[in-house]
Amino acid sequence: MPLITSWRSRALTATLLAAVLTTGAACGDDPAGTSAGGTIKIGLLASLSGTYQAVGTEIRDGFQLYLDTHDGKLGGRQVDLVVADEGNGAQTAVPAATKLLKQDRVSALTGIVGGGSVAGVTPLLNETKVPLVGSNGRPELKDVSRVWHTSYLSDEPGAAIAQHVRDNVKGSVYAIGPDYQGGWDELRGFTDAFGKIGGKLANTDGKTTFTPFPATTNFLPYFARIKASGAAAVYTFYAGSAAVDFVKQYAQSEIKDVPLYAAGFLTEGGVLNAQGDAARDIYSVLNYSPDLDNAENRAFVAAWKAKHDGSPTTYALASYDAAAVLDRAIGAAGSDPTPEAINTAIGQLGQIASPRGTWQFSTVTHSPVQKWYLRQVRQDGRALSNTVVGDLATVGR
Amino acid sequence: MIVVAAGTNRIDPYLIPALDGVAYGLLVFVAASGLVFCFGVANILNLAHGMLYAIGGYTAAALLDGGWASLALALAVGVLAAAAAGVLLAGLLTPVATGNHLSQALLTFGVALAGGSLLVAGFGPDDPQVQVPAALEGSVLVAGHRYAAYRLVFIVVAALLAAALYLVVRRTRAGMLVRAAVDDAEMVACLGVSPARIRAGVLAAAGALAGAAGVLGAPIIGPGTDTADTVLLLSLVVVVLGGLGSMAGTLLAALAIGEIQTLGVALLPSAAPFLLFAAMAAVLAVRARGLVGNWRAA
Repeated sequence: MPLITSWRSRALTATLLAAVLTTGAACGDDPAGTSAGGTIKIGLLASLSGTYQAVGTEIRDGFQLYLDTHDGKLGGRQVDLVVADEGNGAQTAVPAATKLLKQDRVSALTGIVGGGSVAGVTPLLNETKVPLVGSNGRPELKDVSRVWHTSYLSDEPGAAIAQHVRDNVKGSVYAIGPDYQGGWDELRGFTDAFGKIGGKLANTDGKTTFTPFPATTNFLPYFARIKASGAAAVYTFYAGSAAVDFVKQYAQSEIKDVPLYAAGFLTEGGVLNAQGDAARDIYSVLNYSPDLDNAENRAFVAAWKAKHDGSPTTYALASYDAAAVLDRAIGAAGSDPTPEAINTAIGQLGQIASPRGTWQFSTVTHSPVQKWYLRQVRQDGRALSNTVVGDLATVGR
Repeated sequence: MIVVAAGTNRIDPYLIPALDGVAYGLLVFVAASGLVFCFGVANILNLAHGMLYAIGGYTAAALLDGGWASLALALAVGVLAAAAAGVLLAGLLTPVATGNHLSQALLTFGVALAGGSLLVAGFGPDDPQVQVPAALEGSVLVAGHRYAAYRLVFIVVAALLAAALYLVVRRTRAGMLVRAAVDDAEMVACLGVSPARIRAGVLAAAGALAGAAGVLGAPIIGPGTDTADTVLLLSLVVVVLGGLGSMAGTLLAALAIGEIQTLGVALLPSAAPFLLFAAMAAVLAVRARGLVGNWRAA
């Protein structure tokens, strides 16, 4: 009976396979560039392939938009922009950054989507003495002497919205997020600030519920717990396809009438189109919205819409601002803008005018001291859009 | 909305997760039954099985537009495409000796990698969104709780599919051959039925099942770059838990997986990352033959 005797070995085979089947791989590629008199070489590292391709593309396009609207110059010098692919994380980002810094010898580095990639690249910056004006990922760093960010720290969105939630929600709030560093930081930002001003979490043990990431695609079991907790509102942070799953399932669940507050990435960019009507009325906190009413933003949005479908995201804005920072710093660095001189100049910029409103670098964290906005997903013409409904706290140390 | 989660009713909060576990379990059943068929009947270890599901999922994402006609079309196209891929696999497997699991695993794993890359190249690296018929987009009240309408209908459809599968295996000539092949493949070959034909037939049927699961299950386990791995993994766990022998074992294992993934998570959220594999390890430790024995016992 061959079938019966081989069952054990087949079960073993299946068990082993089930145990082994977990990982994937990614790869990157990079172009090259040359240098000449009167030009300056800038390296842009962003995820142009893999999971964060959408964010990486926005970052590249945001920087390019600034160059296109400023005659291709930063600080009066023609820019030779060398773009490299960050891939999915440090594993691919570090070799790409090494090439930019050591082979292309760029004067400054910008971009970088993942916090892990930034952590991996930081030692290279100190070795080559080149500054990074990052436009997205910002991990916990001990030494920020050459690291600047135009984005935010992961715990700031939650800290900025805590007071608003405390004032407007009558009852306890359920905190839920993805189980990885970014999720921990985003949720800690909210729960710390919320607890300090007397807010109460509805979670059973008073601690945030973290869902396995990226394995969780079905949030219904968690919604059942939220329902049972009697929470008056939910605070969350998800991004990418997890954000789509969370929002779509939320709208069909038994807690669909419980107000949902979130870090803005839950409904930012492409995910909002995928969520569709399910995202309607969600409140989120972010440092930018395309409908902000100031001259810089009107010009930025108009220039963006001339080249792209849809509105610019906070990712594109941060990269646009990174170019603006480099523009002013290179101009201020004098006749010989060495990487060291540019780094020093960035530290002395002071107030920076931006489509998001005026902001400045924190002297401690080298990330923005900026205002955060409360937005709600509302109908805007044919499409749904994140509409600013109020100002929140100015956050940054 | 009335909150009923009072102390007197401790079961109430877990009604929806338990119901959702049935939906998830039935999806896993339809998806995994193809793999179990291949492995148990034709003795083929098909590691490209997850890819067959992904074909159905991507078909659904590409064709569904919110109407019923598009659902019927997607189902037809998805089933045919995945069945055709199954026949192609059977052709590729012809030179590999029956029962040589390592060669089969290497070949089908290679096909899965290549096929997965082709799907990503064709449909893009983002997880595409699936639009269910507009009538099923909303939610319905079940015993005072809100539940996605699509998933409720899915439970009925998947249960019908499972019943149809049972009838085919039990009552038709094809099903008889399948059962005979499990009992004694050599004797069936002696009776004049070509093993190559059985292999092609079984892989086509497995593909059709995976394709149907992929289309109908796309709103639950959606198409994406890691869908194939997820489905293959769940199917292999079904094999470990349910054995290769009986449909009852497969169904029981699939429902157990569904409940572990939903009710289990609702009861023990902190253990969510390893509940499934803890259950698998426990079953292996206690009963190395799976929850239910083999065909003869069942």
